[in-house]
Amino acid sequence: MISFEPTEDQRLIQETVGELAKTTLAPRAREFEAAREVADDVQQVIGEMGLALAAVPEAHGGQELGLLTAVLINEGLSRGDSATPFGLHGFGPYVWAAQELASSDQLTDLLTPLAAGKPGGAVAWSEVKARKDRAAFVTTASKSGDGYTLSGSKCFVGGVAAADRFIVFADVEGEATDAPWSGSGAFVVKRDAPGLKLGKRHETLGLACADFGRLELDGVDVNEADRLRGGDDFVAATLRFFARYSLTVAARQVGLCKSSFDITRDYCDIREAFGKPIGHFQAVAFTLADRHMDAESAGELCRRAAWAWDARKPFETCLAYTAQAVAHAHEAAMRCGDDAVQLHGGAGFMRDVIVEKMMRDAKQTALVGMTAEQMDQVAALVACRAKLTPELVLPTPDAQAILT
Amino acid sequence: MLEFELSAGQQQLREGIRSIGKSVIRPMSLGWDKNKEIPEDFLRNFYSMSKSLQGAENPMADYNEGPKEKSNKPRSTNRTAAVGAEELAWADASIMLSLPGPGLGGPPVRASGTPEQKERFFSIFRDMSDQLRWGAYGLTEPGAGSDVKAIRTTCRKDGDDYILNGRKCYITNGGRAAWVVIFATVDASQGRAGQRAFVVEQGTPGFFVGKIEDKLGLRANETAELVLEDCRVPAANLLGGEEKYQSKEGFMTAMKTFDNTRPLVAAMACGIGKAAYEYARDFVKDNYMLGRPIPRYAALAERLARISRRLEAARILVWKAVWMADHGKPNAKEASMAKALAGQAAISACIDAIEICGAHGTLSEDHALLEKWFRDIKVYDIFEGTGQIQRIVISKRLMTNLRGF
Repeated sequence: MISFEPTEDQRLIQETVGELAKTTLAPRAREFEAAREVADDVQQVIGEMGLALAAVPEAHGGQELGLLTAVLINEGLSRGDSATPFGLHGFGPYVWAAQELASSDQLTDLLTPLAAGKPGGAVAWSEVKARKDRAAFVTTASKSGDGYTLSGSKCFVGGVAAADRFIVFADVEGEATDAPWSGSGAFVVKRDAPGLKLGKRHETLGLACADFGRLELDGVDVNEADRLRGGDDFVAATLRFFARYSLTVAARQVGLCKSSFDITRDYCDIREAFGKPIGHFQAVAFTLADRHMDAESAGELCRRAAWAWDARKPFETCLAYTAQAVAHAHEAAMRCGDDAVQLHGGAGFMRDVIVEKMMRDAKQTALVGMTAEQMDQVAALVACRAKLTPELVLPTPDAQAILT
Repeated sequence: MLEFELSAGQQQLREGIRSIGKSVIRPMSLGWDKNKEIPEDFLRNFYSMSKSLQGAENPMADYNEGPKEKSNKPRSTNRTAAVGAEELAWADASIMLSLPGPGLGGPPVRASGTPEQKERFFSIFRDMSDQLRWGAYGLTEPGAGSDVKAIRTTCRKDGDDYILNGRKCYITNGGRAAWVVIFATVDASQGRAGQRAFVVEQGTPGFFVGKIEDKLGLRANETAELVLEDCRVPAANLLGGEEKYQSKEGFMTAMKTFDNTRPLVAAMACGIGKAAYEYARDFVKDNYMLGRPIPRYAALAERLARISRRLEAARILVWKAVWMADHGKPNAKEASMAKALAGQAAISACIDAIEICGAHGTLSEDHALLEKWFRDIKVYDIFEGTGQIQRIVISKRLMTNLRGF
């Protein structure tokens, strides 16, 4: 039966996260932005709450609360500051990639440091250059003895500075068939591995408290045990990873939609022009109404998609719901950020007001994980019952590089 | 618990309507539309079929028969009605609107009628095996639609009766209705406080059906003008009784109706939008190789996905609004949000579907249904409050002290 009522536990988590967002994240958003990192005390508080691993099974140190609860958490945190979740340890794609691609033993190993409060890892997906000869990663994994040797340059890697290990995607020597992106593989590389070098941190449009950087692999040796095989279907597992992670990112966009709306609504309530609050003019009020519809519909679509995963609906259903939620949330956030600046007028352009930051954050967030364009392709393929081939459904680095 | 799944009964209802829609309604739909025919034979069959299928569990029972005994348990009436309305509109929106029953007249009687009035006016719909019956809702006038306060139909007390004078227009099923809820005013200068709602029965002296409209879409549904000339209505038909009108209640009666019906109208819009979307999707599936990464196809894929997700965004707001109604939560804002978004999303869906099908899309011989849905959908951003009115309703609930624009 259709119901929009969260469980008692979920409501409690929402309240706790909401309080934290309001009293800690919102007042300190500019501080984190200037420092280009989330302060240690906040990292610690959120780490102790175990929010990053909310959806991870208990056996691997998580709370096993499901993707829906994770979505509510991400939305709630982002309502305080739209950038903070990207700078928090354990909130990146690493946890989601590990869950889908690793075997059970590997997973315990990958998540144990995080469960113990350490920063955790990062995912190296995008590449500096596209490959010309065929559709594949430029980064290669060549066979050497019982293991592989990795070489290549990765970019747009989130949380690269603090990560203790990396999940690196590469083209595996001798495994490609005629199909595009066949022969792709994922490998765990420890930070201290010889040949691994951190590159320059990217200067970015928004999400300043999160670091995105380059990773150079110059003949890095890994063992067979470090390869993540994603069960029996690597492409499906990779797609599942991207879809589920992207949904948490979409939830952050929803948080951004709602907070930028709240701030702007309050402003339009008190700012007067021509003798009355500007919100009492139709042009302004109707814009607010439209953004409110955006925020509310995006929020519920995210919840529905998360519910589908938790309820173990068919893969295609989960994928379609997720694609719709993510694409809608990205567009909604961009509209909400833009109109927040617009309705503030000149003041919106100034750094005294937070909405200019939200607008920048919204644009950059739309490039973290799968983008609206990619999600629309996925949704259309599912709707037309077409084959989910990797070049169409994965955010392949040659088509539209993404931040991970 | 957050849950986004229909109950087993709702799924059955949806599948049942879809199957009838596919095999019976759609093949007849174009003929009915062309001839402006309200297919009473079909409606009679549909009525007896749904009655026998659902029996006591008939999800529309509340709508047709009025509320049963009060219970504190949340009901699923509105959710089920939304599911049914969407699916029947998917088959043919005209048929959805032409279904026998109280229609839009139901909610104000249910919300404001005395127990005696509820019994009297709903009882005629309890068994329509011998004869189909309709109710209707008469608010709009030639000079006042969206601006409800501006209605000019007058009423004045005369002994045990009221005398009504005025004209109502664009009344769905108005010509065939057994009774119509008519809004009138004792004194136009009093605004809301002066308004009264009456149940005017067919055959009342001075009550006439005027022009039957010729329309862009929804042609297999009757839209009528109603004329009241010294129409004598017994005081017993004043909705809620006289004491109800000591306050602003009269106007609120009109508005309460919309909280319940707007989400249903939005659900119908979603149904038409879905029909157009599925049509375009199947056209693409049959005519293109989507599995191949050719840029031209990627643009088509994106367009399809966009139509679909906008409809989903609208439907999720519809579901939220009806869920709130089922739980007795005030949902005026949510009802308007659902209506505003659904109207727009479905109109875009119909326009885009035609574009996807190319020039064929505008040729009524090739894609006649698509052409019909394109005509049918436009009014969904107009009736039950235009998109602009919905935004006024929403704005008033977003801004502090916003009384009007």
